[in-house]
Order: sequence, then C-alpha cells, then structure tokens
Amino acid sequence: MKELIKKLTEVSSPSGREDKIRESIITEIKNHVDGYRVDALGNLIAWKKGVSGKKLLFDAHMDEIGVVVTHVDDNGFLRVEMIGGVSPYVLLGTRIKFETGAVGVVGVEGETGKEYAENMKNLAFDVIYVDIGATNKEDAMKKAPIGTFGTYEATFLDHGKRLVSKAMDDRIACAILVQVAKELKEPKDDVYFVFSVQEEVGLVGASVAAYDIKPDMAIALDVTAGPDTPKAFKRMGFKLGAGPTIKIKDKASISSSQVVKKLTEIATTNGIPYQYEILIFGGTNARGYQLTGAGIASGTVSVPTRYVHTPHEMVDYDDVLNTVALLKKLAEEGVA
Amino acid sequence: MKFELLKELTELPGISGFEEPVADFIEKQIKGKVDKYWRDNVGNLIALKKGKASSAKKLMLLAHMDEVGLMVTKINKDGSVGITRVGGVDPRVLIGKKVSVGKDLLKGVIGFKAVHLQKDESLLKTPAYSDLSVYMGFNSKEEASKKVKVGDPVYFNTLYEEVGQYALGKAFDDRSGCFVLLEVLKALGDMSLEHDVYFSWVVQEEVGLRGSGVAASQIQPDAAIVFENTTAGDNPEIPENRWATKLGQGPALTFAHGGLVLNKRIFETIKATAESNAISYQYKARLAGGTDAARLARTLSGIPSGVISTPSRYIHSPVSMIDTRDFSAVIELAKILVIEGKVLPE
Repeated sequence: MKELIKKLTEVSSPSGREDKIRESIITEIKNHVDGYRVDALGNLIAWKKGVSGKKLLFDAHMDEIGVVVTHVDDNGFLRVEMIGGVSPYVLLGTRIKFETGAVGVVGVEGETGKEYAENMKNLAFDVIYVDIGATNKEDAMKKAPIGTFGTYEATFLDHGKRLVSKAMDDRIACAILVQVAKELKEPKDDVYFVFSVQEEVGLVGASVAAYDIKPDMAIALDVTAGPDTPKAFKRMGFKLGAGPTIKIKDKASISSSQVVKKLTEIATTNGIPYQYEILIFGGTNARGYQLTGAGIASGTVSVPTRYVHTPHEMVDYDDVLNTVALLKKLAEEGVA
Repeated sequence: MKFELLKELTELPGISGFEEPVADFIEKQIKGKVDKYWRDNVGNLIALKKGKASSAKKLMLLAHMDEVGLMVTKINKDGSVGITRVGGVDPRVLIGKKVSVGKDLLKGVIGFKAVHLQKDESLLKTPAYSDLSVYMGFNSKEEASKKVKVGDPVYFNTLYEEVGQYALGKAFDDRSGCFVLLEVLKALGDMSLEHDVYFSWVVQEEVGLRGSGVAASQIQPDAAIVFENTTAGDNPEIPENRWATKLGQGPALTFAHGGLVLNKRIFETIKATAESNAISYQYKARLAGGTDAARLARTLSGIPSGVISTPSRYIHSPVSMIDTRDFSAVIELAKILVIEGKVLPE
C-alpha cells in the first residue's frame, strides 16, 4: 500500500484544481468498483453494490492546500495568496510547484534591517514573494500567469513504520479508500466512496456530494493532529501508532452518537485498536454531510498526523492499515 | 446621462431585509418582457425567459438587490437614535454623513463632535457604533417616537452623478449587477435561445449570502453567473501588488474568493469569451470576501458558477465610484455569455 500512498501524495492538486488527482484515483479504483461518476462540482463518486438496501458513504477529500498567483511585478516576482490554511512561516524555505510546471522559492521583503526583522516577526502573505527564476514580467507571465495554482513540492519518505509526505491531508484517506475498495469483496450495504473537492477552502464538495445519494450513514476520513510531540497541545491525548481515532467532536461537528457507537463496536469486536478524539480546533467534511438534505448520521475517522499543513506530514503505517481494516469491517457488517 | 436606470436603481432605499422597493422597481421593468416571474417567500424576484429546447438547460443569472446600511436600535432621550450596521460598514465612513430613516425616508445626519471640541488624539480614533447617533431634528424621545421606531432601516442618502467617465453614488454593490441583468433581458428581446435563462434578483447577500441558495433551489440551474460589484483598492497609498482590482482595466474575473475556488471550466469560458470579443478584463487579485457563488456551490447537488464584477472604489461607503467603461464592458460581456450559453455544461 506504500506505493499507492506515494503515488497519491506526490500528485500536485490544490483545491479547485483536482483534475490530476481525480484522474489518478480513477485509474486506481475503476477496476475495483461497480461504477463511478463525476458530479457538477468535480466530486468523484464511486460505488460498490451491497445486499441490504442500506447505504454507507465514505468520504476523503482529494484537494490539498496551496497558493494562487495574484500579481506579477516588472522584474518577474510573483505575489501569492493561500488556498486553504497555509502559514507563511511554513512557506519560507519550501519549493512551490505550479500547475504550469514552474517551480518557485519564497523571499521576504524588507528595505532596512528593522523592516526585515518586523516582517519576519509578523510574517504575512503581503510581505512575501515567490521567485520562479523569471528574468522579467513577460517571462514570468509565460511561466506562471495570474490565477496559476501551486502546491508544496516535496517527495515521499518511508521510515518503515512512519511515513512522511506532503498532502497526507487528505491523500492518506484517498489511499485508504482505494485500498478498502480493493479489499472489500462482499459489502453488506451499498458503499459509496466519495473523493470530494475543495474541503480546504470550506467543505465545499462534501456539502453537496450526498444530496442525491441520501446515505444512511456518512463517515469522513481525514487526518487529525498528532499531539504526541514535545510540548504539544496537552489537552489532547491521542497519538501516532495507537490506532485510528473515532472523532467525538471538533469545531465543525459533533459526531452522531450512533456512528461513534457503531465504529466502537466494530473496532472492539474485531480487535482493531482505536482512540477517541476531541480536537479543540479544525473541522472535517462530516459537517457537510450532517447538514445535507434532511440530515445524515455522520462522523469522522482520523489518522493521527504530525506537522499537518506543512510539506512534511507524518503518519504511522500501522494506523493506516488499521483504518483500512476498520472501514472494511464496517462495510462488511453494515450500518444497521 | 449614460445610465439613467442605474441612477434610479442606486438611489432606491434597500438595505438587507428591506429590498422591497428595489424588487418593485425591477418588477415594473420586466413586466411583459419575460415568460413568467415570481417573488418568493424570502423576497427574491425571479424571472424566466424560456428556451426553445424541450429539455432546455438552465442558466441562472444572479445579482443581489440589498445594499449595506444601518438600523435604528434605540430612541434616545434627546430625540436622536442609536444605530447598528447591516452588512459590513466601517464606522469611520459614517460620521457627518446624511442618511434617510424608515419608510418615510426622514432626513437625518450621523452626529459627531466638531473638530473644535476634539483633542488631537481623538481625531485619529475610530468611533464605536455606541458613540454614533442619528439626528433628525427631534427634541425629545416622545417627539421622535411618533415618527421613528426601533428596527427602522437607515439608508445612505446619496444622489447618483456621472463625472466624466466615472459614476458616483451609493449601492453600486450590487444595483450595478441588478442593472446588468435588466440590460441582458433587454438585449434578449424576442430572441429565442436554446436554453432557459433565469434572472434572479436576490435578497440579503450582505448579511451572509442568504437569498441566493433558496432562489437556486427553486430554479435548479445547470450553471450560474453572479454579477457583482467588487473592491478596487487601487489607492495610491497601497502598493500595486496589494490592489484587488483597478478602475478602467475592465470587468474583474474571479478565480477564487472566500470559501470557494470558482469552477475552472466556467472561468476559462468567460475569459475566452472576453478575449475573442476584444473585451479587456482583469482578475480580482485579492481573495478576501465572497459572493453568492459560494452559496450556490453548496446548494442542492452543487451548482457551478462564474463571477464577473464591476470594480468600485470606496465600496460599502456612502459614496463609491465606478468607471463607466468597465461597467459597459461588463454588460457587453454578460450579453454575449448569455446568448452563447457556453458556460452551461455540455
């Protein structure tokens, strides 16, 4: 499965520009599902038929955070704004890969030592620029015109048990869903695999993906924090390697208690390690599903992840495999 | 005057939640020129020009009728009234401005301490809403209470004028968009297109994109174009790389804004249409703020849309300024896009 994770995380596809990652996922999943379609917003929806008449939906968002070019100056330097939550501090020292193929590095303004220090202290997108090696405006406009989207450029790193890559958020979940589709032979319920768009800019795809499906249960699969690092958020206790987390609540939703109960039962009876998660910030697509139509029983299963929204997000491979096992068992046993 | 109807539209009172005068005016303009129209439960005005095809695709055009403004929160002992904002209004633009209050449009002024009475440091301070009152010439609470009540809308009181190539006035956001839709309707005349065109003048955009979603639920469109008025920010004191748009550079096209990356296919179609018709355009280069497109994407099973805006200086204030050349170009581009229907999916 590591090969699949490497393949999906290395695709550069920020919110609103999911074409590439969608193609990659279709290639991986099409021989393992009964059908698929792409909706008006670009969500990829694949399904496997079951026997119970019930419907279970799994969601992973395809998009990753990124930047978009907003200005090109006379000397060919670019200005960018963030697509999703990108810290300008994290952007410093990274490479940005644009959809045109151009690759940029990041600099900070400052005409005096004092101004530079001030800018570094209060770093904001207004005082940073991106240098794509262009020699003038015309050259830059050819390589990365205004409106060009980009993402971090980083390669996959395999430590054995721990894996590091950009866009684990949320390609690790995309890889997990593809793996579930591959391994799942006899689902009890109809299982829908939704690879949704534009989660990072505000849960866009997941707000509408289930409108026509009307599933009995929806589970968003996402990354969560890994607060097991030195002096990390001490109010949260989950950690890498102790199993997928079953979310109780975050800032965007409170998981449906029947979803929490069902997932806990499945994990317990099958000996799959799990942790309960209360995230004191952030949110997932579960909110989008919960508020769709007449409302859908929704919850989130997360893979604990360190350094979320940086080019180097770290997960534990056993957590990944246990997440696959948990979702697969749920699909086999059904929501009822 | 170049835009007589724009003058009338911008001078109408219509803050969020009080759009009726605007809807009444637009209804008069469209009567007899559309196949049907209706006002819905939240006050949206929706009109249909039917297409030829029996299973015609549906294109939704959208502009919001509401403007930002103020509302009476309290009648004070001295006969003045306390106010709060409706939509995003910077209190710094309010002091000393003329306003109209309530449905009788009583004239008033937003009071402030004369410069003579201010110490240097308070001159630079942003007033809080709790420091602002509207004076309408009443001498007591009793006298004021006969004419004004809590909850009455308070409007900026600005007459439209054209100065050279510029137009000055209030509420270009988004009466300019309302006008674009009327111009498109006029251009369609007796033309019969393949696709259905739904014109929707919606309510309460400024307080959180509240009208557009329910309008779209009634229409169930295949695609939408939102016509907006957007921040210029081309002030000389702001570095050029931080401008959102610049007056005179043409219609502003949006690739992404708050809460949404706009549909790529529609965005590219609008761009290509502008290019093939020699309409110069610019991009909205700041992502802050949003439009009804963000609501449409989250409505039904997801409605893809494009956003085309007329740049405006001093937006959300009593007087803003647009370049009539930009505005004419937006209208031109809108007509072509609607007639060609290429923004609709295959």
